Amino acid sequence: MINGNLKATYAADERINNNAYKTAFVWGFAALAALFPFVANDYLILIACQYGIMVVAVVGVNVLTGYTGLISLGHGGFVAIGAYGVTIIHAGLTALSVPAGLQPFIAIPAAMALAAGIGLLVGLPSLRVKGVYLAVATLSASFIIIFLIELDALAPFTGGKNGLTTADPSFFGWVLDTQREVYALIAACAFATVLLVQNLFRTRVGRAFIAIRERDYSAEILGVSLLRYKLTSFAISAACCGLAGALFAYFYARVLPEQFELLLSLQLVAALVVGGMGRTMGPVFGALVIVLAPEFLKLTLGALMGSTVEAAQIRAPLQEIFFGALIIGFIMFEPLGIAQISDRVFRALNRWPFARG
Amino acid sequence: MKHTSLTRRGLLGSAAAGAATLAMPTVLRAQPSEYIIGASLPLTGPFATAGQLIAPALSLFESMVNGEGGIDGTNIRFVVEDSGYVPANALANYQRLLASEGSNLVAYYGDSTGFMQLVGPELKGDQARMMTSTSFATELANPETHPYQFMSGPTYADQFDILLQDIAAKGGKTVAFIHSNTEFGTDPIAHGQARAAELGIEVVLIESTKAQGADIPTHVTKLAQANPDYCILQGYVTGVWPQLIGGARQFGLQTKFMGTFWGMEKLIADRVTAEAGPFLEGYQGVMPYRYSYDMEDAPRLQQISEISKVALAGTPLENYMPTWGIQAFASLELLTIALRRAAEAGKDLSVADNVAEQVAGIQDVDLGGYYGTNISMENNKVGVGRVYEYSAETNLFTPTSDWLTA
Repeated sequence: MINGNLKATYAADERINNNAYKTAFVWGFAALAALFPFVANDYLILIACQYGIMVVAVVGVNVLTGYTGLISLGHGGFVAIGAYGVTIIHAGLTALSVPAGLQPFIAIPAAMALAAGIGLLVGLPSLRVKGVYLAVATLSASFIIIFLIELDALAPFTGGKNGLTTADPSFFGWVLDTQREVYALIAACAFATVLLVQNLFRTRVGRAFIAIRERDYSAEILGVSLLRYKLTSFAISAACCGLAGALFAYFYARVLPEQFELLLSLQLVAALVVGGMGRTMGPVFGALVIVLAPEFLKLTLGALMGSTVEAAQIRAPLQEIFFGALIIGFIMFEPLGIAQISDRVFRALNRWPFARG
Repeated sequence: MKHTSLTRRGLLGSAAAGAATLAMPTVLRAQPSEYIIGASLPLTGPFATAGQLIAPALSLFESMVNGEGGIDGTNIRFVVEDSGYVPANALANYQRLLASEGSNLVAYYGDSTGFMQLVGPELKGDQARMMTSTSFATELANPETHPYQFMSGPTYADQFDILLQDIAAKGGKTVAFIHSNTEFGTDPIAHGQARAAELGIEVVLIESTKAQGADIPTHVTKLAQANPDYCILQGYVTGVWPQLIGGARQFGLQTKFMGTFWGMEKLIADRVTAEAGPFLEGYQGVMPYRYSYDMEDAPRLQQISEISKVALAGTPLENYMPTWGIQAFASLELLTIALRRAAEAGKDLSVADNVAEQVAGIQDVDLGGYYGTNISMENNKVGVGRVYEYSAETNLFTPTSDWLTA
């Protein structure tokens, strides 16, 4: 039972979940992100950018899997569409002599729209199949996407197995040609994506997604069109992953098909499960674990066991084992993810000193 | 007696001044206490076998170089990290090391074509270090597009060139190319076609397969229909010999099979022979280096053999250093020569341009027997190789050609 606080209004009641500690955490996080490029070295910038890109993509998976209840193991393919889309569109705009300072404003939305379009197509089976069957269908779709990218016939556009060298984006003449500058773009997009998607679930569309997740035929009886909303969910989800792909292409100097294979799709789902499905902060926390845990393990085991060649040979498999154990641990002991743990912490802070947990 | 009081502020001030004085030599010193050479190896993942076999070579090389006085009196130290054969992981490893070691990091050893492609455009200003890797990708041998990356052997296109020269010299008239559907597999195919036409050899079949041995019988049927004198396999590390060559022999085909560097490892050929029979008898391929047992007039290979007997006693590498290890040795030897020359010239080794200049200046050098000839660096590669043939009886690869230049 909640005690220690008298709730006299609905607003006060809501503050059980939306309390000052949470607000401070969000704004503190944003302030840290803004200050970060002024103090961080290049390695930390690299990790932060990998993290930001992962957050945007996992937010996309969250829309589909966390909120709409449709499982996908193929979202790595949508990231690939975004990455290749933005690179190819950039090249096309350059060929058409579109001013460089305007190109990202066209290329990024176009790549997202392309990913959304493919998302609609991939989402069609979701009208007939659910659960593991849908997971397999989406997995197959991602294989087809990678196959098409690698196809010799399309190689003049996609670079085939050699990949494509990506362009440095220019925003009204500000060329983002260092990782530190691209960080600003990634951080802004990550923050905006998290906020926009959170707000999506205050709308009619978002609530329709949640209704489908809870029981799809009940939702249909209530007047929610499954065709329309399942496909909308796929499109929004794919568009987020397309944005992640576009940021990926701007960040790395090259896009290669092998970067978007099964491993990436699995990482996206694992990040969501660890962070918390259907929660705003789920992707934020989950991506933190997926990106930072391997780095942290490398640094810790490196400090403990030394950096000799022999130690590295033993450390490498140990890192993989610890990482696997960490994921299993989360699923076993906190299936609702880190978002649930953080809820408990903030609730305890809010009620302190009267109650815990 | 005069009373002196020790206040906390005074103590902190003295400590700060002392620390600054102690730190002064570090700031002024031009040469670090040790030079760091970083490496990403696939110690886990699909190519873990290769990574785990290359790792001891780095360790032995470190002790060899430091035993000779390091680089201009300063020892080297390898810092190895696992990449899992994921290019982005290797890039993170490189940038992590760059951040932690700064100017002590003087060179890097990469583990894949993908990593070299990904890191190439990032090598700018103080983010650049000289690099070599396990890759022989044709694209990388270009000082204009990849100024800080070099390879210690011929590109895959050059390796095809050498094999085709050998086929022409032995009177071969027709050839088939069977390659994996990977970047590694497709790399030299176009060049191979053009070169075969120049040499008057007809390419009767170009066949793309999966990298692992699924669905091989259909390819064997096509090979049987084409019935070429020679068949060059490209883009496989293991896996296809039993199905493809074994299958062709069951068909009664007399085609001679050939491979490139990654298809020339004795440990794998021995294992396949032990498990599946002697069908690799007569298998040929191009090698940029000598095998570690071919030690005559090769002081470096003799030295590796001696220290391996002690340092790697009880392991499969005790009496034989794999070709992948020899590749690492040769690449690092070239790197060390360049680093030593740059150090002797008083240059800063953490500036990639200084080392790249010395790498390009390696001409007509005897490297101590890794190669059977003096070598020169041209277009960031060493374009020599020799054709070897495997004997299932002796389990040895022996040379069947002279050293050829692509």
